[in-house]
Amino acid sequence: MTFQHFNRRTHLYLALFLLPWFLLYGVSSIPFSHNRYFEERDKAKNLPLWTVRWEKPYDIEAPQNGPFREFARRIVTDHRIPVGSYGAYRQNANEIHVFVYKPLHSMRIKYFIKEKKLVAEDRRFRWDHFLTGLHAKGGFDQDDIWQDLWAVVVDVVCLGMLMWIVTGFIMWWKLPSTRGWGWLALMSGIISFTLFLIRL
Amino acid sequence: MFSRILRRTHLYLALFLSPWVLMYAASTFVMNHRDWFRGNPAPPPKWMEESRTRYEGEFPPWAGKDEKAQQILAGLEMDGRSFQAAERDGVLIIQRLHAVEPRRITFNASDRQLTVEKQVFEGAAFLERLHRRRGFQHPFLLEDTWAFTVDLFIAAVIVWALSGLWMWWEMKVTRLWGAAAGIAGIALFAFFLKVL
Repeated sequence: MTFQHFNRRTHLYLALFLLPWFLLYGVSSIPFSHNRYFEERDKAKNLPLWTVRWEKPYDIEAPQNGPFREFARRIVTDHRIPVGSYGAYRQNANEIHVFVYKPLHSMRIKYFIKEKKLVAEDRRFRWDHFLTGLHAKGGFDQDDIWQDLWAVVVDVVCLGMLMWIVTGFIMWWKLPSTRGWGWLALMSGIISFTLFLIRL
Repeated sequence: MFSRILRRTHLYLALFLSPWVLMYAASTFVMNHRDWFRGNPAPPPKWMEESRTRYEGEFPPWAGKDEKAQQILAGLEMDGRSFQAAERDGVLIIQRLHAVEPRRITFNASDRQLTVEKQVFEGAAFLERLHRRRGFQHPFLLEDTWAFTVDLFIAAVIVWALSGLWMWWEMKVTRLWGAAAGIAGIALFAFFLKVL
């Protein structure tokens, strides 16, 4: 196997393996980029985004300031809520919200400090939220091994993108007939990007 | 002929958009390892004072925070780009967005002092700003042009995927291993959807 052969195969097989992620990041950028359109479209359906699953009395000392992770962990453990990825934040003086993310079914648990009450709500499935949720998913700050492994795959996708550039450049350079137009495309891209950086 | 057009489109589109690919790869890595690059929680950005002057302009009585911000920015010759304004207790704070050098302009109505500060450059924050910049919500042509390049990138991703699949299918010797790689990727992705 020659280097050129190896280079081509790396470009191809890496792309085929990472295709679901590549498509996910591409397609999910549409609802990010056209957020207003998707929000208005959903608003026209006139359906509530959240529906109450249960309400329970619950007495727990609420921390004054964040981080609220320990507090959230206690709530999801006490109520046996299956979690992969979760976070918590103070909504207002009387409410702390725990957001439990799952790609297909997320939920929110609200703790009302004065009333000492928990309200769990299910989020209605929306395709745009499904896509943007997966797009934004990353990082190694969760306690679950699968969340960390997803973050490892995100790193592999980043590495894959760099590899496509490097292997793609090598393939381009080995095609002398494309060099003229290739240089034009490359330089146009670099100049446009630089102009954006200066002006944007 | 069709195959040739497809190959050339795949190639030239990739060469043109390679700075965007690099930027999205680097910024995604930085965001995936935010603790390493920015700390947890990320410290607030650092600002460096550029000027402190007295603002002599008068605002029309109907002016809200955005109109006041626009007037101040025009006076500083910093208008024409997006900003966010907030006003509280007679202090107007304008966040003047910029990819490389965001600025914060503070106007204190009590002593009419106008302070311009530049955000100290931080690589990780810069990449994250670029990654998150999108959408057509700003009223400026330049912002719309950038949003258009984001849409172009999205279209390119789909074109790369489809043309790549086509080129793979044309190379018979790679079909078996290619199918194995593709199926492995789809299976892993589906597995993650189940366990995440």
